[in-house]
Amino acid sequence: MRNLFSVTIICLSFLILGIFWSLSNNLQQVAARLGENLVVTLFLNKDLPEKDALEIRDKAGRSPVIESLRMVTADEAKERFQASFPELRDVLANLKANPFPASIEAVLRPDRAGPDAVAAFLQSMTATAGVEDVQYNRDWIERVRSLGRLTRAIGLFLGGILVLASFFIISNVIKLNVLSRKNEIEILRLVGGTNTFIRIPFLIEGTILGILGGLVSLVFLAVLIQAFPLYLGSSLGALQELLSFRALSISQGLALVAGGAVIGWLGSLTSVSKFLKA
Amino acid sequence: MLVSDNLIELFHIGHQYQRPHWALSDVSLRVKKGDFVFLTGPSGSGKTTLLKIIFREIIPSEGQIVIEGVNILRIPDHGIYKLRRMMGIVFQDFRLLFHRPVFENVALPLQVLGVPPKEIRRRVFNALRMVNLQHKLGDPPAHLSYGEQQRVAIARAVVNAPKILLADEPTGNLDTELAFEIISLFREINKQGTTVLIGTHDKELIRHFGSKILFLQAGKLLGKDALPSPES
Repeated sequence: MRNLFSVTIICLSFLILGIFWSLSNNLQQVAARLGENLVVTLFLNKDLPEKDALEIRDKAGRSPVIESLRMVTADEAKERFQASFPELRDVLANLKANPFPASIEAVLRPDRAGPDAVAAFLQSMTATAGVEDVQYNRDWIERVRSLGRLTRAIGLFLGGILVLASFFIISNVIKLNVLSRKNEIEILRLVGGTNTFIRIPFLIEGTILGILGGLVSLVFLAVLIQAFPLYLGSSLGALQELLSFRALSISQGLALVAGGAVIGWLGSLTSVSKFLKA
Repeated sequence: MLVSDNLIELFHIGHQYQRPHWALSDVSLRVKKGDFVFLTGPSGSGKTTLLKIIFREIIPSEGQIVIEGVNILRIPDHGIYKLRRMMGIVFQDFRLLFHRPVFENVALPLQVLGVPPKEIRRRVFNALRMVNLQHKLGDPPAHLSYGEQQRVAIARAVVNAPKILLADEPTGNLDTELAFEIISLFREINKQGTTVLIGTHDKELIRHFGSKILFLQAGKLLGKDALPSPES
């Protein structure tokens, strides 16, 4: 019963760590995907004549940082919005005019899009007449990356507290096991058993508990990753992509199990050592 | 090179469990290799305390103990196993693992030494045959009589052929016939070179087997074999 309790606590601790790790994995991947496609969006003034819009496009196309350009009309922007947010279709329908401006999407060449060159391009486009606003998705990439780092930090903080708690719990569970076998330990010492000889079975026990806790947490995490999109995914709308779980890599999974083993081993070591010194 | 034949030497040993009462006071003695010694005295005279000090379950309040030329009070806790491995101890309360079979109880001193399993089986069987319990090796001690449990404790103490055998009231729960058998067994072990120190208050046994006798009374060592002081 005591051992079951230890395994449960270790499992919960590492499950929390795993959940945040998995979320953070996803955010890092989203950021990486965005990073592969650096895009500057030039929003044009409403009612800008097509001739002026084409001039702006040509001006942008002369910059060495540009790989390709694409005109997005106001109607096209509206359709995209409706496709991305179908639940807001009615709101749009009630509007008399199309609220979306036309825009030019400029895909940058990753090999030439250094910070200075991009800054010069952005400055030049912002100053161009007919350009209402300039948005650069590198800011978004940075935000998503930061969110990923924040998620990982929260995971480490919460998981760390729980791992620490599980360390003390396993330490106390092993201490109870040691106390229940106090007589046996005393006899082993009296017949010439070394401290190491006495410690080894307890260390093995703690390590096995830790490994079991880590493995069970991985199983729960796998179930969660499979079940999450089925139960909650569709209701998250646009947040779905950011709030998705991504499976841990083999090395991350092994790290969780190894973490469990280390916590179990350390918990046992401290409790048995205290007893052997007493 | 001067080689001493003293195996156990106690110098001015005193021990207090609680002030101001001294459980042992200024006890000095020598036990030579191959000695067969009875440590006797009335209940509460300090026999058990003295034996516990010799196998260092208790650290005395005063004095020094030298065993095989080593001051055992200077051995660090983690090194005490070396002392215990040269001793076989029969405890007054047996200290058996009641949920483990007799075989495992007797095998413990060999297991801690890392003796191979086949050799453990052979030696455990021999030790149990010596105390006439070879037919009980699968039984847990909880299923045995008091006297049988005592014999299991004796088998465990002799199974690794120790240099020193310490026994605290080893015949306390046995009938006279079995008590004589057990002491005869200790005599046999002694003849094979083991130094034997038996704490007992059984005068009959001492009269029958008596060789060297140490007499304790109220924590002080009396009697002709007691030494006033090793220095004097």
